[in-house]
Amino acid sequence: MRAMRTIDVMRLHPLWTGYAWAAGAVALCTLAGWAMHPRFDVVNIAMVYLLAVVIVALRLSRGPAIAAACLAVLAFDVLFVPPRGRLTIDDLQYVLTFVIILGVALVISRLVDSVRRQATAQAALALEAETERIRSALLASISHDLRTPLAVIAGASSSLAENGERLDAPARRALAQSVFDQAREMSEHVAKVLQMTRLETGAIALERDWAELGEIVGAVLARLAERLAAHRVIVEVPPDLPLVRVDAALVEQALSNLLENSARHTPAGTVVRLRAERRETDVIVTVEDYAGGLSDDELARIFAKFHRGPVEGGGTDIGLGLAICRAIVRLHGGDAWAARVPGGGTAFRFTLPLEDEPALPSEPN
Amino acid sequence: MAESRHPVILVVEDEPEIRRFLRSALEVEGYRSVESTAGRRGAIDAATHKPDLAIIDLGLPDMDGVDVIRRIRDWSPMPIIVLSARVQERTKIEALDAGADDYVTKPFATGELLARIRAALRHAARAASGLTTLRIGAADVDLQARTARRGDEELRLTPIEFRLLATLAKHLGMVVTHRQLLTEIWGPTHAGDTHYLRIYMKQLRDKFGDDAIRPRHFVTETGVGYRLLASE
Repeated sequence: MRAMRTIDVMRLHPLWTGYAWAAGAVALCTLAGWAMHPRFDVVNIAMVYLLAVVIVALRLSRGPAIAAACLAVLAFDVLFVPPRGRLTIDDLQYVLTFVIILGVALVISRLVDSVRRQATAQAALALEAETERIRSALLASISHDLRTPLAVIAGASSSLAENGERLDAPARRALAQSVFDQAREMSEHVAKVLQMTRLETGAIALERDWAELGEIVGAVLARLAERLAAHRVIVEVPPDLPLVRVDAALVEQALSNLLENSARHTPAGTVVRLRAERRETDVIVTVEDYAGGLSDDELARIFAKFHRGPVEGGGTDIGLGLAICRAIVRLHGGDAWAARVPGGGTAFRFTLPLEDEPALPSEPN
Repeated sequence: MAESRHPVILVVEDEPEIRRFLRSALEVEGYRSVESTAGRRGAIDAATHKPDLAIIDLGLPDMDGVDVIRRIRDWSPMPIIVLSARVQERTKIEALDAGADDYVTKPFATGELLARIRAALRHAARAASGLTTLRIGAADVDLQARTARRGDEELRLTPIEFRLLATLAKHLGMVVTHRQLLTEIWGPTHAGDTHYLRIYMKQLRDKFGDDAIRPRHFVTETGVGYRLLASE
């Protein structure tokens, strides 16, 4: 509802300024005509008005163009066409002048209108093509990323259901475990697709609260403990970092996606470094890994939707984690990007703007 | 009340497949399960069966899971664990504010749910007997004498720090929401002032040698609240 109202105001606003511009243009012509009056033919003064009407019709919409034409005719008639100071016309040829001015206004604004309409249609087509591209990428990713785990789940669970009693305990356990692992992975893919959709359609309202980044980092490390177990994780979060006013659950997700991404795309045993630093007006969070390296092109596109990198040691990457991270930090007024680490590796960074911390009730210690 | 060897657990869940695996997981652990397939029925079953603990799904067809919790809380302090989907973040917090003790997010491993159940049953037993002392790492806290010491060293807590600790200790091992903590310590007009909590939690962690990044005792539940892990 609020969005609708904003749009109405936006539409009203240029409309009235359009009419103001039209009136202004005519007033300017009148001044010019006044200056020209004794030395130039009345017909040439009409040309000045015509020029103004043409410009108004080109730059503004049909309404202001017609208004400019009428005002121009009125001003021209009253001020310059004899008998001056009155609306009457003695010479019939001026009637033709009026008709032409009005005609020019109509023809030009119509032309401009159709050009504008074509441009809008083309933009809509481009948007549709983009939507289509994303939809097919989504379908491709769903079919790829969900089909494999589904096949594993169906296969492993059918073995258990049909031949369970003929398998020994470790084999049964291994099958059951892979059903669980794959189901969890699938659930995460689905959650990411849903989350991306919700972020894009604006279905997520930020629940901002004062949060401590250290606590968010702690929650992420606990949540990802299993996935980060094979990496050496170094955490540098200064204890005096100011509080941030954020939706902590979403920021936790953004950070978790970055760490997960680094763990997934670098070999076991390598270092992943998580750092947070205060800058002047924001806090910058960096997740650095030290394996491989990306081309400039990849660095530029890595935060885009459905961009997939090679995955270490099997598994799949739906290509949404970083896009979700960026959408979340942008929703908070920050940004996310990737840069090369000298000596090989990639730094993924995001910022969160700082606000003035509110006062605390004082308590004697 | 059932005999203590076989606690009775009420499961309020509309999905038959989920009830099925919950039932088998609970029975293997030696619990007796009672099942309700809808919210209204669940609130009634809670009153007639008087279970030791209730597991309530937040996506029930007939009635908001949060309302079921309120109805139960009207007359019983029985531990309540909610099952929530990831998109139900808000509802989950409402459920905890309404008196649920803990939550598990779907999909979950049954081991995780069983651990929560054990912790909640312990919490209920403790609440009945009354908890007076508590050990947080190397520090001993006496909740009645309002003292905390690490060996010979006395940990000087401010009145607010102590109330924060005491509120968490009252729900030892369970989640306490931001709103519950703020209301309890600063009053309902400060229910939204989460920055108070951040500051005092930091002080409390510092005094007990805990750390926000790798918390062992004062555990952060992001966007929800805190959970105190300590031994009796």
